[in-house]
Amino acid sequence: MDIFTTFKIAGSALKAQRIRLNTISSNLANVETTSTPEGGPYKKKSVYFETQNIPFSEHLKSNMGSEADKAVQGVRVARILEDQDPPQRIYNPTHPDAGEDGYVEMPNISVLKEMTDMMSATRSYEANTTVVKSAKRMALKALEIGR
Amino acid sequence: MELTHFDTTMKLLQKVLDLRSKNQRVISSNIANAETPGYAPASMSFESQLRDVMHGPTLRPVTTRPGHLTVSPASLDEIQGSITRHPDRTGIGDENGVSVEEEMMKLSENQLLYEAAVTMLNKKLALLKYTANDGK
Repeated sequence: MDIFTTFKIAGSALKAQRIRLNTISSNLANVETTSTPEGGPYKKKSVYFETQNIPFSEHLKSNMGSEADKAVQGVRVARILEDQDPPQRIYNPTHPDAGEDGYVEMPNISVLKEMTDMMSATRSYEANTTVVKSAKRMALKALEIGR
Repeated sequence: MELTHFDTTMKLLQKVLDLRSKNQRVISSNIANAETPGYAPASMSFESQLRDVMHGPTLRPVTTRPGHLTVSPASLDEIQGSITRHPDRTGIGDENGVSVEEEMMKLSENQLLYEAAVTMLNKKLALLKYTANDGK
């Protein structure tokens, strides 16, 4: 019986959600950043997930058959991409980064969107910790057999 | 591990524990991928296969020639559980069919039934110990 596979799956999700949360906090922190080392305003970054067939699937193949094997998948961050939305233009001639016409290019970040995304990441993280808790309880219960 | 010296109930409980821990992996995979675009959640069922092995199948396919394959598993050892994928057909969002609420319910149900099976197994073993100790 391999109880640790569950930990690996839930662990991969915890890691992915953590990366997502880091990206969101980076977006929120830079919501007013008008100049970056790359030039121009900060661009919103988004995390994209994909399923992950971690090496444990090899192990599963031997005792679960290929059909069930495909059903057990982790998750990972496939890539982090910059949003292609144009920057918001705000009229503020006194701003040091203002252009000739007095407009400042602000990051393409919606605080509201980031906050809802953050809630979603938190809830997902919590759901996966519950999975870990449940797996742990089952493992401990199995150790009680014959006690 | 094979408990050959014990009765059918014990073998059944052993198989149930095995299948429940596999089911746990399938459910945790669904929860982990709750936000992966295009992910189709999987569900595992084995209850009817268990019932068929214990009480005989409700619909037994007839094997009239030696080459015919049997459809349902003939013994406890053969039960693998069957996996069904449920792709999202709503056409909205990112084609992810996972319902976290449903998966969490399945998770706690699976966990409780696993613990129930362990408790039953312990009862059986305690009984065996009692007999082995001359009822002391």
